[in-house]
Amino acid sequence: MKNKIIAAIAAGGAITMALAGCGGGNGGTPAADVDLSEVTHEGTVSVITRYAGNYESFFEKMKADYEDMHPDVTIDLQQESDQGYKDKIKTLTASQSLPDIYFTWPGNYAEQFYDNGVALDLTEVIAPGTEWGDTMAPSALEAFTKEGVTYAVPFGLDAKFMVYNQKLFADAGVTVPETLEELIETCGTLRAAGITPMSFGNVDGWPALHYITQLNSYNVPAETLAADFKPETATFDHPGYAKSLEQFTEILTECTDSGTGANGVDYYTERDAFGAGKAAMFYVENLEFGATVPEGSQAEADGWDQFKLPAPSDAEGDTEALTGAPDGFLINSRSKNAALAVDFMKFVTSQENASELTAQMGIPSPVKDSLTEENSTPQLRESIDVLQSASSLSIWLDTVTVPDVADAFLSGVEGLISGARSPEDVMSSVQAASEQAKG
Amino acid sequence: MSEGALVTEANRVELTRASSTLDEPKGGHGRGRKWRGLLWALPALVLLCLFVYWPLLLNFRYSVEQSNIFTGEQTFVGADNYVKMAGDPIFWRALGNNVLYSVVSVAFQVFGALILAAIIEGLRRERLRSWLRAIYFVPSAMSLTVTGLLFAFIYQPKGGLLNGLLESLGLGGLAQAWLGNPDTAMGAIIAMSQWQGFGYSTLLFAVAIQRIPSELYEAAAIDGIGPIRRVFSITIPLVREMTTLMIIVTLSGAFQVFNEVMVTTSGGPDNSTQVLGTWLYRSGFVKNDFGYAAAIAVVMFVITLTLAIVQVTIANRKRL
Amino acid sequence: MADTVAVRPVHRGSARSPRPVGVLGFWRIVGRLMIFGLLAALVIAVVYPILWMGISSLKTNSEILGNPFGWPDALDFGSYVRALDSGVATYFLNSVIVTGASVILTTLISTWAAYALTRITIPFSKGILYLIIGGLMLAPTVAVIPLVKLLQAWGIYDTYWALILLYTAFRIPFTTFLIRSYMIDLPLEVDEAAVLDGASTWQTFWRVILPMCTPIIISAVILQVLFAWNEYLFALIFIGDESLKTLPVGLATLSSRAVTDFPAVFAGMTLAAIPMIALFFLCQRYFIRGLADGVGK
Repeated sequence: MKNKIIAAIAAGGAITMALAGCGGGNGGTPAADVDLSEVTHEGTVSVITRYAGNYESFFEKMKADYEDMHPDVTIDLQQESDQGYKDKIKTLTASQSLPDIYFTWPGNYAEQFYDNGVALDLTEVIAPGTEWGDTMAPSALEAFTKEGVTYAVPFGLDAKFMVYNQKLFADAGVTVPETLEELIETCGTLRAAGITPMSFGNVDGWPALHYITQLNSYNVPAETLAADFKPETATFDHPGYAKSLEQFTEILTECTDSGTGANGVDYYTERDAFGAGKAAMFYVENLEFGATVPEGSQAEADGWDQFKLPAPSDAEGDTEALTGAPDGFLINSRSKNAALAVDFMKFVTSQENASELTAQMGIPSPVKDSLTEENSTPQLRESIDVLQSASSLSIWLDTVTVPDVADAFLSGVEGLISGARSPEDVMSSVQAASEQAKG
Repeated sequence: MSEGALVTEANRVELTRASSTLDEPKGGHGRGRKWRGLLWALPALVLLCLFVYWPLLLNFRYSVEQSNIFTGEQTFVGADNYVKMAGDPIFWRALGNNVLYSVVSVAFQVFGALILAAIIEGLRRERLRSWLRAIYFVPSAMSLTVTGLLFAFIYQPKGGLLNGLLESLGLGGLAQAWLGNPDTAMGAIIAMSQWQGFGYSTLLFAVAIQRIPSELYEAAAIDGIGPIRRVFSITIPLVREMTTLMIIVTLSGAFQVFNEVMVTTSGGPDNSTQVLGTWLYRSGFVKNDFGYAAAIAVVMFVITLTLAIVQVTIANRKRL
Repeated sequence: MADTVAVRPVHRGSARSPRPVGVLGFWRIVGRLMIFGLLAALVIAVVYPILWMGISSLKTNSEILGNPFGWPDALDFGSYVRALDSGVATYFLNSVIVTGASVILTTLISTWAAYALTRITIPFSKGILYLIIGGLMLAPTVAVIPLVKLLQAWGIYDTYWALILLYTAFRIPFTTFLIRSYMIDLPLEVDEAAVLDGASTWQTFWRVILPMCTPIIISAVILQVLFAWNEYLFALIFIGDESLKTLPVGLATLSSRAVTDFPAVFAGMTLAAIPMIALFFLCQRYFIRGLADGVGK
């Protein structure tokens, strides 16, 4: 049996970060089983990504470059769309035929692979303090760490920001709000000036959850959140949750035109509305900056910048937390070429290739100093600075929790938007789902 | 529900005929090669057993198990999934939505379509009749995905056709996010489904009405019976068998609804448009709870099978 | 026809009361107007959205959102190019492959089964008939969960074969009965004459029975095409690979991936709908015959 030496690191916001001597968790494969230090450059490594379409050229280049360097290696690359990946990975999992390297979102989504023993413990090669780990932003590694075990390679950095139109702000004579109360006031002033303060569409359910994720980390203390995100200790009974829902309703009514009809409004149409200079603000992921304000758009001409969704002045939680999370890759614990797979991921996340990632796809990398003036916009660089200085990253509410709880939040918030449900009502169904998930 | 109805429709009637001729087999050349004749039916039997019957049996087993997709382990849990279902408010809402779907569809696609078919067949010009039948049928030839995406645009709160129409009629106050409001979303989807399906049942009723001997109408006209009375005293009674069939088929289709909900709302907002099919899909393929999904499938099986048995019973009684 | 006899005498006496012609004429005109109004309104309700779909595919994005009822300023067929480029060409081809293969298999296998059940004597023919009848009563949804694992185990998950074999298996009951109902009415002398000519069962089927069934086979084919082209549930669950998706699922993917290129989505929808609408108008006669023969005489 292994002794667990647990040293909790207080910095962990949404996630309890801990160091353990050996692989803890429920059935994760101990690192000792696989020797990752000896790499023989021959054989085949299979990879599945969710970057089909506009983004697929990056991994194609990685494959070609790596194969050029190591002629005896074949990278078997499969790229899927977002939804295609979700379907595919389920099939591959169920038929016990996961590839050597596979994509993941953080939170419970990634943990379930590790917990069920199909993802490798990578602590010895990528934890902070290791050569590879030191090239990565600590908050990104933290997102893939559970009880001291780091089980994924962070790949893309993604966080949520409020973008605003500088001309529209100036027209209405408002400045960037510092608190949530000021944001609401700003919306009133913009509206009085005949400007739509914020565009918002929630037809898919997740856009609202991103607001709730950020508000939850402001209103609920970090330790409470961390406990609630673990199925065994979850209660979801902190009053801060209901408060977040109320604050979100206020934003919805005071700042958006969509209001109670938001569930029928398309997110992307609303994003276009910001780009067309028809709304003063829009809440968006930084890797979408390019799509939100395309070259030649009205918003680009008007000038734009971003700020973090401001915290309420009476926040009980961590006001320095930021909603966002890295995407990552897991290594199959049953892989025959695990060491080679790790080596390939090291190559993909080298500083040179990480810069390439941003230049080609507009996706910021968790690799330190990979953003340069040549490969990114000032707004993107600034967003990454904010991200680096955030005390912790709050992972999307719909991937951090178990599926039942995520579902309860998703549908509950839809009901909240349409006015059919009260915040307390939403939280009681979340609590019920959480109890159910305990089995 | 066009394809589904098509399948069941034609066949359920056919079923009656089939069983009526069971006792009087034709053919049979008595060549002593009877067993070899089985080869003709073998491909059909093999495919049916592999892809229809075997999964059906397995589904019963799955419904009393819980499975872990990561390890492939299956554990016997007895009636747990059914107990969970009984206490699941969304399951009951889904079932309720299916019932609502059935009631509305029977009203429009059976009784509405019957009246419409009677009106069309009462027109004098054959050309007009056949054009109307054909035009009304067109939505049934389109895939439900196309219809669903089309109506998602029609129902859009901003720039949608329906709200635009209401505003131009001075009813702008009624405009709303039809699919985004839990109070209107189910109604909006059901309305779309009527648009899609009414022409199909109208066509079938029209075919049935054409089979009524025209002398009956002529005689009634001579007797001074007006056109409306003729519909009620001749047409409706004489297509009674078809009406019964259409009711069953429509009910069965309404309990299998899936595509139209998936492409418009996938069951949202706030699970207000969840039906058994989408709740099964979500439980099995989004929440990875195969056992629970299998239990929902068993409920759907029981409902559709009951309807089928009712149908066969009615058909048989009619024959006697 | 027993009902008819019952109907007529009831109304014979009561319907003779004479009415003033003027009032009758007035109400008849009102009634006719209402009827034509209803029929015309329904035609508009059906045709307008479909035309709107086609017209919208030629508009620009801002025209769709800003002026949904208007005509486009310029006809822009670029949306069709974009739709085809972003997957619709692949989806269309996949739909053709899956539909074509399942039509051939379903028709062949069902015609054989119908032949076995009507023209020759086979053991257990009653049992076989019931087994096929039973297939009509099962909702496809019920088999979906176990099929996931079965198709994976058989190695056809996420291949064309998954859809081709499922579309065939689930449509054999309907098609067999449709063809059987026609075949059973062919005179027995036909087979006897063939036998006298020295034809084997195999030859009788291909040379005599099959050609005689051409009209109903055309109907069966058309109904199967309509089914396979529009099927969504199986296509959603058993195909994950983007390059194997058929139109109904592919279009749904396109609409979420094209983000705000609405004209391209409308173009994709139009491309998916046109073949079936055309098929219906071109083959209306066979279509209605298929339905009518299935419904029974």
